[in-house]
Order: sequence, then C-alpha cells, then structure tokens
Amino acid sequence: MNREGKKGLIFDIQSYSVHDGPGCRTLIFMSGCPLRCEWCANPEGLLVKKQVMFSNIKCKHDSYNCMYCIDACPHDAIKVSPQGENLLYFERNLCLNCDEFLCAAACPYEAIRIVGKWMSVDDLIYILDRDRQYWGSGGGVTFSGGEPLVQHEFLQEMLMLCKDKYIHTAIETSAYVDTGIFLRAFRYIDFAFIDVKHMDDEQHRAKTGVSNKLILHNIRALTESGWQGRLVLRMPVIRGYNDSAENINMIIRFMKELGLFEINILPFHRLGDSKWKQLGLVYKYANESATPREKLEEIQDQFLEARIACYIGHETCF
Amino acid sequence: MAANRKVKLEEILAEKGMPISFQYGGKAPEEMVDREVKKEPCERVKKLKELYFQTLSSATVEFPYWYTRKYDELEGEIPVVRRAAALKHAFSHLTPTIFPGELLVMGKAHYYRGSFPMPWLSEGYFMAKEDELYQSALSAGRTSADEVSKFGTGGGNVTQSFGNVVSIAGKFGIRKEEVPALVKLAKAWVGRSVDDLGQKYEKMVPEYQLKENIMKSVICMFDSGYTLPQGREVINYYYPLQYGFDKLIEMCEEGKKRVAGKADGDGIIGMDRLYFYEAAKLVLEGIQAWILNYAAEARRLASITEEAKQKKEYEEIAECLEWIAHNQPRTFREALQLAYTIHIAVLNEDAISGMSPGRLGQVLYPWFEQDMEAGRITEEEVIELLECHRMKMTLIDCFASMGVVGGVLSGNTFNNLSLGGLTRDGKPATNRLEMLILEAAMRNQTPQPTLSVLYDEKLPEEFLLKAIECNKTGTGYPAWMNFQGGLQFILDQYQAEGMTVEEARAWAIGGCLETSPCAWMPLTLNGKKYEIPGGAGQPTSVGVHFIANPKVLECVLFNGYDHRTGIQVYPPHNRKLETYEELWETFKEYYEMTVDCLAKCNNIQHDIWRKNNMAIFNSLLKPDCLTKGHHIGNMGYRYNATFNVESCGTINQINSLAAIKKLVYDEKKYTLDELRDALLNNFGFKTAAEVGSFSLAEQEKRPDGDKYDRIYSDCLLAPKYGNDDPYVDSILKEYEDWFCAMCRRYESLYGKPLYACQISVSTHAPQGAATLASADGRLAGTTYADGSMSAYPGTDRSGPYALFNSATVWDHSKSQNSQMNLKIHPSAIKGEEGARKLLDLTRAYMRKGGFHIQYNIVDSKILKDAQKNPQNYRDLMVRVAGFTQYWVEIGKPIQDEVIARTEYEGV
Repeated sequence: MNREGKKGLIFDIQSYSVHDGPGCRTLIFMSGCPLRCEWCANPEGLLVKKQVMFSNIKCKHDSYNCMYCIDACPHDAIKVSPQGENLLYFERNLCLNCDEFLCAAACPYEAIRIVGKWMSVDDLIYILDRDRQYWGSGGGVTFSGGEPLVQHEFLQEMLMLCKDKYIHTAIETSAYVDTGIFLRAFRYIDFAFIDVKHMDDEQHRAKTGVSNKLILHNIRALTESGWQGRLVLRMPVIRGYNDSAENINMIIRFMKELGLFEINILPFHRLGDSKWKQLGLVYKYANESATPREKLEEIQDQFLEARIACYIGHETCF
Repeated sequence: MAANRKVKLEEILAEKGMPISFQYGGKAPEEMVDREVKKEPCERVKKLKELYFQTLSSATVEFPYWYTRKYDELEGEIPVVRRAAALKHAFSHLTPTIFPGELLVMGKAHYYRGSFPMPWLSEGYFMAKEDELYQSALSAGRTSADEVSKFGTGGGNVTQSFGNVVSIAGKFGIRKEEVPALVKLAKAWVGRSVDDLGQKYEKMVPEYQLKENIMKSVICMFDSGYTLPQGREVINYYYPLQYGFDKLIEMCEEGKKRVAGKADGDGIIGMDRLYFYEAAKLVLEGIQAWILNYAAEARRLASITEEAKQKKEYEEIAECLEWIAHNQPRTFREALQLAYTIHIAVLNEDAISGMSPGRLGQVLYPWFEQDMEAGRITEEEVIELLECHRMKMTLIDCFASMGVVGGVLSGNTFNNLSLGGLTRDGKPATNRLEMLILEAAMRNQTPQPTLSVLYDEKLPEEFLLKAIECNKTGTGYPAWMNFQGGLQFILDQYQAEGMTVEEARAWAIGGCLETSPCAWMPLTLNGKKYEIPGGAGQPTSVGVHFIANPKVLECVLFNGYDHRTGIQVYPPHNRKLETYEELWETFKEYYEMTVDCLAKCNNIQHDIWRKNNMAIFNSLLKPDCLTKGHHIGNMGYRYNATFNVESCGTINQINSLAAIKKLVYDEKKYTLDELRDALLNNFGFKTAAEVGSFSLAEQEKRPDGDKYDRIYSDCLLAPKYGNDDPYVDSILKEYEDWFCAMCRRYESLYGKPLYACQISVSTHAPQGAATLASADGRLAGTTYADGSMSAYPGTDRSGPYALFNSATVWDHSKSQNSQMNLKIHPSAIKGEEGARKLLDLTRAYMRKGGFHIQYNIVDSKILKDAQKNPQNYRDLMVRVAGFTQYWVEIGKPIQDEVIARTEYEGV
C-alpha cells in the first residue's frame, strides 16, 4: 500500500502471456524487489518508484538538435555527452526525487518514457475481467515483477479478489519475504514459480545481494503447510555461477528432501541489456552470451537422472 | 527436445499423478517430436516446385486470337451464342502441354505459369508503354491506380523487359514476336470492349465527372465491371461431377426442345432460354475438345517415352482424361482432375480472381471414401495428389491491369479452400479428407489454394489442433472464419431470395474472406447418395471497390480538394466544421456521394458485361441456371444479392477522427487550420517516396520540420483503436453501425441491396500512397493499417485481448466480413503447449463475435533480412491481408507494412 491509497505500482501488463504458467495468461509486473541479481532482465522493476527510461535510439537531439526535454527539466539533469557524440544523458542524481517528469511530457518522440503506473485494485480487476474471456481453458493471472510480495498488502487484496472471482492465480517470486506474509499470500495462489538462484549462501549473497536462508526456509515452510497448489522451482542458468554439477546436486538434494519434482531452468538472455542502459545503469552481463543448448541439456539430464522433471525455458508441459 | 528426454519427463510426471499434456490425442511422444520438424513435399512435387521457382509469369495470345477470330466471323449472331461459339473455338485450339512428373495436368495456357489478356474486357492497359493505346488509356481515371501500385521485383514477376521478352501490365512477360499480334488483337476491341462500351454509357450518369475525380484521386481503387467481373465466389463442381460432360450436353439438348419458341409466362426473357441452352452446349463441347486434346498429347508423349514409369504415367493421364471428358469420374484421382479442369476452364472464360474451390474436402469425399473402402488408394497417394493439386493451383496467374493485379491482389489469385463448418443438419462437416488436405498443405507449402477454417464450436478438437499445427509451420494459412457469424450474414442478406438456415450452412469463403452463399446438391456415386456443398451465388466483391476512408476524411478537411492531384474532387461543402458532429456529418455526405456515383457507374459496366460478356460455363455450373435456362445475367443463379461496397483504411480513419475530436473539439488545443497546415506539410517530414520506405518507423524529418513537433506528438498520443479505449472504440462503433446500414441503401444492377465488405487485400498500400498525412500521426504516402480490424502498427500497446475487445464493439455479422491480422513471434507458439494456446486465442476471438483472424508466425528479423537479401528467400511466404504470398512477389509498401505490424510474443 502506498501514498496514493490502495494502489499498487505496476510496471507492465502483458496479455496472451504463454510462458508464465498454465494456459494463456495475463501477466502483471509489480514494482519493487529486495534482490539485486546482476543479470536481472527487468531492472526497471527494482524499486517501488516510477522510473525514467531514456532511449538514445529514439532521441532526435543528434538529428534535429531537439532540445525539448532539456528546456523542460527543472533540475537541469539532462546533459549533452561531453565526448563530442552529441548524445543526451541524464545526470540521475540531480533528478532522483523528481515526480513531475516534465521531460517525458516534453519529448515528442517517446524517447523518454516513465515506467510504472499506480493502479487500483479496480483498475487491475477491470483488465482481468476483460482478459479472462480470452484466456481459454486453464489460463489465469500471473503476478510477476520485480518481486510481487514487496507490495504484499496490495497483492493480498488482488489475490483474494481473484479467488473470489474464480480466477486461476500464479506467482513468480523470489520467496524473499517474511514467512507469515509469504504463507498468507499462498493461501490464494494456485501455481507458483519460486526462484532458486544458488544453494550456497555465500554465492547467493555475492550476486543477488541477499542470503538464501529465508528463501529456502519459506519453500520448506510452504511444503509443510499443506498448500495444495503446484510448485515449480526456477533457476536462471548463469555461466560459471550456478551451473556447476555441484550446485545442481544440492538443488536435487533439497528438492528430494521436500518432495518437489519440477524445475524450470531458464537460459540466460541479454534482453535486459537495453533497459539497463535506458535507466542509466551499467549492466555487468552486457557481453555475456546466451546459454548454449548443450549446457541446458546437460543440466536437464542431471535432473532427469534424479527423477526430477526439468523443463528448459518455455518447453514446459503446461 | 529429444524423444528420450520426453519419455523420461512423462514417466516422472506420471508417477506423481500429474496430467501429461504434451500433445493432443495422447499419441506417442515420437510423433510429437516429428511435428516440430518442417515437413517437405514428396519427391515428385519437389521437382515440380523447383520448376515453378524457375518459371516466370508468361503471357500468350493463343486464346484471344482464336476467340476474336470466331467472334468476328459471327457478326450479327445472338450475343450469348456468339460468345459461346468464340469460347468453344478458343478452348478447342489451345496447345496442350504436359510436364514430366505431373499427375494432374492441363493449364490456363501452354506455359507452365501461363495466362493471357482478354481484350474483350479491356484492351489498353497491357500494351507496351510506348503504344498510343496505352498512352490514351493512361489519361483516364481508370488507370490512376496503376501509378501508385507496385509489384515485388522478385520471384516470377516480369517487371522489366529483357532479351526477347517484353514486360506487359507490369508483371507478365510475352515473347517479342507475339507483340504485333497482341497489338492487333487489342486494337480490334477498341470501342467495343466492356471497358470502352461501359465508359460510353457511364458518361451518361450525371455524376460521371465526380466518378472520374474519385478514380484520379485514388479514393476508389478500381472499376468493377471490366476488370475482374467475376470471382470472390465459390465455384460449383457438382454438375460435371454428378453427370459428366456427355450427359450435360444431352441435358442442354433436352432443354432446347423444352423451351424453343415458348415464353412460359415470362414476356421479357422467357425466350432467352433457348439461346442459353445452345450456348451452354457449345461451351461444353469446347471444353470437352480441350480435355481430349490433352489426352491426345498424353498418348503422344507415352508413345515416344522409353522410360517405363513415366510412360505408364502418361498412359494413366490419357485414360483419366479420356474418361472425364465424357463421364462421371469413378475414382478420387479422376474427380480431383475433373474439379481442377473445371476450375481453370472457368478462369479461362473470364478475368477472375478469387474463384474459390470452397469445401473441396467435402465435395470430393464420396470418391475418397469409396476408394479407401475398396483399397484403390492409400492416404499417402491421396496426399501426393493433393500436393500436386496445390502446385497446379499455384501456377494460376490472373491477367489484369497493374493496379488490379499488383495494387490490389499482390499477384495472388485467391483460390480459397474452406474446411470445417457444419452440414445441412448442423453436424460438424469435417472429415478425414480435410485432415489430409491440411497435411498436404503443410508438406507442400504454396500460396494456392489458401485455406480457411470455418470455425464452429462443434468442430472436433483434433481437427482444430491439426489446423493450428498448420499455422505453426508459418505458412499463414489457414485463416479462421466465424461460421455462425457468416451464417447470420448469409441469412440476413439472402432471405429475400429464399435462403434458409439449412442452406445457409453450406456457405464457404469465396476469395480472400468473402462470405459466399452456397447450396447442398444431391450426388450419387455407385448408388450411394451424398450431399455436397457448392457455390450458388453471383460473384462477391463486385460493385463499389475499395474506398479509401482516410482520403475521404482528408477531402472533408480540405473542402473537397485533393492536394496530390490538384483536383476539386467533391463539390466544396464550404462549412466551417465547428463541431465534431458537423465534421462527421460531412464525412458521411461525401462518402454517400462516393458510393452513389460509383454504384451507378459500375452497374453500367456490369450491365454491359452481362449483355456481351456473360459467363456461360460458370453459369451452367451453378444452381439453378441449367434448370431455369438462364445464365448469370438473367439471374439464373439462386442468389443474386452479392454486390457490395468495399472500404479500406478504416482504422486510420477512426484514429484520425479520435485525434481530431480530442485535440480540436474537446480540448481545443489546436484549430482545424493548424491541423490542416500540419497535414499538408506532412508534420515536417519528407515524403515516403523520398525516403524510400513506406513504413512509419523509417520516416525522416525535413531539416526545418521542428515547428510541427508538438502537434505531431499530440496526434500520435491521441487515443488509438486496439487498446480497449472507449473514447476511440465508440467512434468505431458509430462508424460501423452507419456504414453497414448505409451500404444497404444502394442497389445493384440486379435490383438487390448492396452490403458492406471490409477487407483491404493490398489496397492499403497504393491508397496510402495517394493520401496526405492523417490526423492519427500517419505520415503522407505511407501504407494504411491492413485489413479492417488490425490495429495500426505499433499503436496496439495493450496486448491482443484489449485489441479483441476493441474489434468486437460492433456486430460483425452486419458485414460480409472483417479482417484481423496478427503477427506472432515463433517463440510464442513453440513447444508442446503452443498449439493449444494459439487455439485458445483463436477460439476466444471467435466467441466474442470476431469474424476473422489470421496469423503471421515469423520473426521480423527474418523479414528484414529477406528484404535485403531476397535471393535467399525465394520460398518464404507471408500472410498479407486474406492471402498468403511469396515474400519476393509482393511490392515494397506491403513488405514494409508486414514488417511493421505489432508482434505478439509471450516471453
């Protein structure tokens, strides 16, 4: 819940989403995340705050010497790059607390975009009521992010309303949240993807910024809670980080112990690259290549050998 | 995923009691793996296809020579008999050619991809550019569309003369030595072709000058009565399939005896019946002779062929042809050969696009069933024949003017094959043969015949998923049509002519997506009775062709004046347009003036056509011409209320109205004059032609263009169709309610009400080229949104569900059709569940009342590369607007539009 009352900050909504749960779904991206994964593909969803994204490709400053945003900005935060390229950049520390976004309003080319919209429960339900006519059998809503449980009060209300309306609910979560909040939300969730980035706590902290203890604890708590939904673990495959046989073995042991049998491994992709740039941030994985097929199959085989159903990317059976 | 991994996954999940839904029907995993593999044609068809890829569109004067010669001999004969004799003469003189490896034979002309001009329809447009006939043709409004139309320069199109080959009508190559004959033949028809004669009488319409202005400004894309006077209809193969040619000739003789000298109460055309039966007999004899000439050629080839297999194949061809030239076919192969022969015979009788086989799988089912039962044929052999059929249908070229063939059709001929639907008593009409038709279409991927599924809730899931699987191969077909929606339209439009619910259930698509009336016919094969569907109505997409809606709005803004041509198109309205309502009322007035004068002029063209150039063979095929003794022109067909009004660019018009309403009238941010200034100056951008791209994304600003930045930005940001925004969707609803009702106020030459037809085919490119910038932010000369329900590229930002909601704010069954093109990234439908999810999407749109949806499942990156390196993509096919075509054979404006379409993916 936030300053604008019962509203949630939503940074994107995708309809006809076919890779994020069973059937055709509507995917709601909620802002805010406690993790700082270096490879993150949705960096615009890290903060519960509207973000200014600036695309140099769409900007016409170089072509027509367009100055609209520079003239409009009350913080003098938009500058011409000093390297003589005649490109614009944002001095982000000058406009951190800006909430007017006059630059975006001034840009005729949509080179400056404000990401994030405060939406009420009613706003979202309107969309779900519309979309559910098109989902077909087995579809529903998936809450993603960011980490949807950051805005847990808003999410809780959404989930309860969805169940009230017989809407199938799914979540993509890091499970890095207070256990009570976590279990309370799951009472209204039918299907879940929970990310396990690394089994080793040290390693987990190194590249996500947080410990994995709470995450593993919550997964355990969930399996012991008598929750009836379907749980699929997810793991982004990051080369040289979590793709070792050793780490996979640890995941297998953990899953076996809890009686879990489905995991979805996600190949690394660089689609987030331009978003990092547009946010004025440096992407550490800008030069990393996509995970090779052989590596993915090697990991898949390791899981299958252990009698765990492992799906690669969107090659799922739901 | 490898098969062994799949098996393991299945086992693990089975242990846990989880539902396993890797594929429909619960078949073995191995088979499923197979599905993701791209299928290939059989060896025979591979060779025939390779030949096709190396063949150019070739024209010849053989048919027009023999036709004209006979026609001129018979000066003074009754028109219908004179025409029949000319047709007979031409058919029986065509040179037969058979290509090695063909199982199905015969062609429009003796070239592999041959066609010919019909100067008796129109004669000026196909002359060499330096010819005076061509030059004089240019000065008329009728050819204005040619100037703004573009052909793809690749594939089989001959857009430039080379060596001994002369390019004519922008697409066809003709041997240099035939050109003098062509010129002579064309000149022989000056003043008496349907075109020339029509023009003479059209000029007597008081609004003729308005019509000229409308054609010159390309507000209307082309005339109807002499360009493609037939087509966009479902053919009916029934009579030859049931009776055979001998019996049909006998029936004509009996008909003559029955009616000779008798009016039977009809003092106007009762006596005409005698001449029709005589004409029908002559044409049947001509076609019989034509088939037998091919049989003789097959015999000749057999006699000189050493190789045993090929020799035997020639002999089988000869036997097949010798039989079907006289009798009802006995086998599936004979029935398919006869159906194909009938098809091209109709296409040789008149200039036609969109002659659709209709529900071919249901028509040929009796032979398939009996052959399978008797063990005379295997399913693999049926698929091979169907693959050959696809090849032959793809060889069909339609010879007409550049504006028509390039600008409207993109070279496509729209032989649309329908699948599914219901039977007369409301049961699913799908059968095993339709599954094989889908399989053949996946193996031999060609533009013709394109496929349409007549979707009904009752259709079996297995069939629907097979059709989706075909979509997944990226061919663009099948398109999905709403069976119940079409049925409502058919009932509504044809009830005055006796249409019933049962008969309406026979409907199929004629052309790209023209809902066409059909009928059930009783067929007997070896004593067993069947009911087969077939066309029973006149051509559709005739009447008022393609009105450029955004251009009409432009004329409203500029007081009736067209800035591109400098013509005062409409009488000035001299209104200040102070309210939105006044603007909207003026739009309707201009639009109605447009429909009024075009309907009148085209009625005259069609009337000349029906008097001098009526269909005889096509007529006798359709109920109830043979029974009534009347051809099409005397309303021998069961359903005659088929003429329509076509629109183009609806979404740009709607978005423009929304922008004007918001910026000028509601918010008063700009005056109309400021908007006009911005539109005239193309919002400060260079023109599309200067930039060399017709895609909005690639337009460039003029150095001094800054002053329009604000208004341009506001126009772009104004509410856009496709986002479930009531502000703009209500404008669409109001437009559709008016448009569908308005069309019915105009009358065809047959005294029947017109109706709305909302497809763009390819006209959104040339009509966009002739339109200034529009208030929705579309720049001058760029292509409109395709279809009638597709969003303008890049403006549907809320996903397909919001788009569907916007599209279904109005009742689609009030219109003959609507059109929704969706581009989907391959990743969204990959994997085991992809097919099911695409079916969910399709079904959902149908349930909401959408009439039509079709998919381009291709990565935009590939299309961009194909534009740069066409030589690597000879076989790449894309879905344009109601049809699938080879990428290299479509013009650049349409290529740009397909690339720009919003791509949906689920990643």
